[in-house]
Amino acid sequence: MDFDFSDDQQQLRDAVRKWVDKGYTFERRRTAVKAGGFSLDAYRELADLGLCGLYVTEQYAGMGMGPIEGMVVMEELGRGMVLEPLNQSFIAGAVLSGYAPDALKSSWLPKIASGQALVVLAYQERAARYQLGICAATAVKAATEFTVTAVKSLVPAGDQADAFMVPATLDGKLALFLVERSAAGVSASGCGTQDGSRAAEVTLKNAPASLITLDGLAALEYAVDIGIAATCAEAVGVMDKTMTLTAEYMNMRKQFGVAISSFQALRHRAADMKMQLELARSMSYYASLKLNAPAPERRAAMARAKYQLGNSMRFVAQQSVQLHGGIGVTDEYIGSHYFKKLTQLEMTFGDSLHHLGEVSDRMQDTAGVFA
Amino acid sequence: MDLAFTPEEQQFRADIRAWVRENLPAEISHKVHNAMRLSRDDMQRWGKILGKKGWLGHAWPKAFGGPGWNSVQKHLFEEECALAGAPRVIPFGPIMVAPVIMAFGNAAQQQRFLPGIASGEVWWSQGYSEPGSGSDLASVKCRAERQGNKYIVNGQKAWTTLGQYGEWIFCLVRTSNEGKPQTGISFLLIDMKSPGVTVRPTVLLDGEAEVNEVFFDDVEVPVENLIGEENKGWTYAKHLLSHERTNIADVNRSKRELERLKRIAKLEGVYADTRFRDEIAKLEVDVVALEMLVLRVLAAEKSGKNSLDIAGLLKIRGSEIQQRYSELMMLAAGSFALPLIQEAMEAGWQGNFPGGGTWCAPLASTYFNFRKTTIYGGSNEVQRNIVAQTVLG
Repeated sequence: MDFDFSDDQQQLRDAVRKWVDKGYTFERRRTAVKAGGFSLDAYRELADLGLCGLYVTEQYAGMGMGPIEGMVVMEELGRGMVLEPLNQSFIAGAVLSGYAPDALKSSWLPKIASGQALVVLAYQERAARYQLGICAATAVKAATEFTVTAVKSLVPAGDQADAFMVPATLDGKLALFLVERSAAGVSASGCGTQDGSRAAEVTLKNAPASLITLDGLAALEYAVDIGIAATCAEAVGVMDKTMTLTAEYMNMRKQFGVAISSFQALRHRAADMKMQLELARSMSYYASLKLNAPAPERRAAMARAKYQLGNSMRFVAQQSVQLHGGIGVTDEYIGSHYFKKLTQLEMTFGDSLHHLGEVSDRMQDTAGVFA
Repeated sequence: MDLAFTPEEQQFRADIRAWVRENLPAEISHKVHNAMRLSRDDMQRWGKILGKKGWLGHAWPKAFGGPGWNSVQKHLFEEECALAGAPRVIPFGPIMVAPVIMAFGNAAQQQRFLPGIASGEVWWSQGYSEPGSGSDLASVKCRAERQGNKYIVNGQKAWTTLGQYGEWIFCLVRTSNEGKPQTGISFLLIDMKSPGVTVRPTVLLDGEAEVNEVFFDDVEVPVENLIGEENKGWTYAKHLLSHERTNIADVNRSKRELERLKRIAKLEGVYADTRFRDEIAKLEVDVVALEMLVLRVLAAEKSGKNSLDIAGLLKIRGSEIQQRYSELMMLAAGSFALPLIQEAMEAGWQGNFPGGGTWCAPLASTYFNFRKTTIYGGSNEVQRNIVAQTVLG
């Protein structure tokens, strides 16, 4: 049992933090938000740091790292509220590595690792809410290839991505496909989201598709679980920064002639925020440490983690705005952007109520970190 | 970063588990698993079994006869005991006063007091709080005046847990009114059989007399019972409190009680009700998150790192969880938790409990009793002050 980071992991953290602090300023982010919420330049810079290939093995020109490195990176991106969906490269890298046939791996993994190709998971459907087994999209086997017909919503940077990983039913069973955005029958309609990043409604009409795996539900669950662990880590970074901002403001802001950090009612809220932050950090560790566990154990762990993180995010975000007072609700102040980031992350890869249901349905007679 | 215990730690756990299974009397674990009343004999019997093995002072260093375990080994031992249904070790001797005697007592005091604590023969009590000194502990008034080679103690202590069984009591007493309140306090060990000591039970809302008032009326205490230096007692008391944190969070017991909550919910038919089961699910996540927090503190301690900023959270969260499971157990029984029949909490009671569910008998009582958890050991509001200090300075 050990919760320390190795020297390599610490160096990785330092490198990402340096890029976020120097290369991804609030002003640059603001410009990217105004321009639609996705900066290809910024994404390429992440790739230059090697981060897009974090989950891709060295055989395919990636870094061959794992969940803990992924967590470290996402925490740091969270601090800077990075808009570009790096977690999607984790998902694509891991799922293609684990499930795709060799030909697909050779043609896509090196491009994902180098940042030449952004491949994102297009799984959400209006009627399915957060249920992964519900899928209206259908696939048909054509002469040699497949075609997929689907409407997938809220696809991260969906009108910027090069390809989608799309779950669709094939002969009554969920399978996972890769569809290029440039393919015939594909259209993507983008919009901005709460936190300033970008999503798209992706429509596929008999679009040519490559089969990733017939074991679609297992692959999709794995994909979403990587997303959950990454979201938990990202949220820890956002909350950590939020906590710091709030503490600084409380020590600086004076009312009634004294710093507002001297008032016990406010101090106790700061203590409660710290509690939620550390419970969240603990459960983010838990999520990443369980990401390579057998599927039932992994799924149960992700539900527990995301439930904790969701509640913590909402609490920390709301208290931070309240403790800032009026300045906390202005667009000009960076804090309100952290608030929106946390609001969006709670609803990403399943919200708190959904995951509470998952925990409840999976409950056993015994419980605990090792149960 | 790694969640797994080492093979050596897993072997250690297996050894502890086997030993506990062999040595924990079944009638005692039966009572613990069902929250029945434990007698003084039950508590002391288990203490002495541990003492004989050298594990009552399981956190003690080897130099003082302890096993010299590291933080993780201590945790594994505590977990195995809790899950097996062992009673909580009465902490006042082996967990609270012993580390103070080891750190600040002289050799004669160590030789005199530690063996009786290690064996479980001598029952210790804690004399900290007073009617006028709760959270503001440094305001204690119980006075000790030096007269030749003895102190004359006059005053009153309050909320002394299980003081009715106490043979010795460690007290914070006022030896000076000069300067700040903290600088006039001394740490005194008092034989409770001394003339002038009176113990009066305080009946709590659960109908039990778990705590006591202890009165000192011209009690003579030899100066050799003073720990360390006169007027330095506050420093020693703080040292003691730093040993109390993971112990007071007691996540291991909460894991066991979460299992009991599920059993009760199934017996009562509410486990199948998603509205109720979701409440258990929330608690389950709370318990797992607390366990992760505890493991982080233990890992930090094992590698000699400072974990002060998160250790302060443990008592708050641990006590909230204890209150919540006791609350949910009572709510699971619903109106059948209303009958308050003291005898029904005794093992082997043959009476008829209304509705037939004898497991309901202790639920309200535990719920009432557990209101204490957010009050004692430094109220949760005081704990929040401490946490806020780490955040805001």
